Amino acid sequence: MMVGAFYNPHLGAELAAASTIDHLAMADPPAAGDRHWPAIKQRYTLLLHDYLGQLSEPLDDRAIERARSLAGLYDSPWVAEHFQCLHTEDGTYNLNYVFPPLYTEEFLARFVANANALKARLDQPLVMENIPGFFDVRASQMPEPIWLRRFFDATGTGFLLDLPHVWLEAHYRGLAPQAWLAEFPLEHVVEVHVAGVEQDRDLEGPWIAPTAPSDAMLDFMVHALTRCPGAKAVTFDAFSPSLTADVLFASVDRIRAAL
Amino acid sequence: MNDRALQDEVIRALADAPYRASAEWRSRRLADAGQVERFARFLARHFYHERIVHFFKYSRALARVTARWPVAVLRQPGFDALLATAVLGDRATARAVARLVMAYVAGEEVPYHGDLLRYQEAMMVVEAGPRVWSDTGHGDDRPAVAPPELVEGTTLLELEYDLPTVLPQLLQPWTTPPDAPRRKTRLLVARSRHGRVAVARASDAIVRWCASPTARARWTTWHARPVFVPATSRLRCAT
Repeated sequence: MMVGAFYNPHLGAELAAASTIDHLAMADPPAAGDRHWPAIKQRYTLLLHDYLGQLSEPLDDRAIERARSLAGLYDSPWVAEHFQCLHTEDGTYNLNYVFPPLYTEEFLARFVANANALKARLDQPLVMENIPGFFDVRASQMPEPIWLRRFFDATGTGFLLDLPHVWLEAHYRGLAPQAWLAEFPLEHVVEVHVAGVEQDRDLEGPWIAPTAPSDAMLDFMVHALTRCPGAKAVTFDAFSPSLTADVLFASVDRIRAAL
Repeated sequence: MNDRALQDEVIRALADAPYRASAEWRSRRLADAGQVERFARFLARHFYHERIVHFFKYSRALARVTARWPVAVLRQPGFDALLATAVLGDRATARAVARLVMAYVAGEEVPYHGDLLRYQEAMMVVEAGPRVWSDTGHGDDRPAVAPPELVEGTTLLELEYDLPTVLPQLLQPWTTPPDAPRRKTRLLVARSRHGRVAVARASDAIVRWCASPTARARWTTWHARPVFVPATSRLRCAT
């Protein structure tokens, strides 16, 4: 099992010299002036985790070429995209933050068709990450786990299981995280994200934060991995200029120790 | 209404505070109003946090001497008051947020501070507005010699100082803030259909042309000239 983190360019020197991290997920392309990039590229397995688009609409040639180019640059073993629909079709409104689609037949058909089209153009397997919903939209027609299962069955793509996302949804539904997790199609999981959560003033509750995972989150990770037979990597999911090297390395160490 | 249109309604409600308060949205009863409001406020703070960090990075660099960090405004009453009318990505909201930042970080630590704030405000305001997310035709990939096109929101800045000479230095290590030559400088700030902001020095020809957008003078398009600031505004969609 690989244990890694996100590439945070402001921690480039520390990451280039580190020996305890197996892989780095790349949320942004390397900046032109990033002097640590050559060492990072040579040293690490790199996972493409950039924002390519939203699969509620077909990705255009430009986005697909970008994905292909970055996957080639990183020699990424798989390419990640999100179950998200965050801007309106006409481009007028944009949340600039991950936001899930309605869990309906129409959106399922859209995501299946567009993921299959993207998959056909990539040289690497496609994995898709679950996105947390803070509230339910009454227009949804099925629970998220059912929708995801049908998506994975129809596309054969891998599942990037974001555990804090599941944990938060369980929290806001008043469910035990383990019970909510059991509903998800875990047999498709390729990679697992782990992160910390903190109280948010606007949400009046916990949300994802660039902080270390708690003991409870690590226990949840261990529990999840016993149910994910195909998981190949665990990634500490924190990408922020405010993330410190201490938090990043300590988090990776704690994840490794918990496994 | 199909499901994609319904999703757009939800996205709009989260992005557009006046719409969120409207009878039209509330009558749809698509989601719990309290939860939607809390998430919308969370999104707004995140949305403008990213933009303030990106566009006011020079003020952030100057905070070493001013001790006034631009993102601090996000936790001040002025921003909270703005949330009731904010529309994410709207030019008027971008201007209102930028003005909050400018009022907070303004000072006389460097003589070109006023120019610097106007420059950063222009970047943030120009970036706002609807954008094209998917290329179905030609856009930014047009040939380098394509005729110029005046994009909505394009701004011409008349500055007292030659800011382009000092901007890169501000982001480097320094003990005393770098100086900028006092020299009248005109900058053109514009964005692509995809929301990428670019800045170029504005020649007299460009200024004349901007004032007369129907003209089709045969000079090299400013699109093709080297942009002196890597001002891309591809802001990350955080997970």
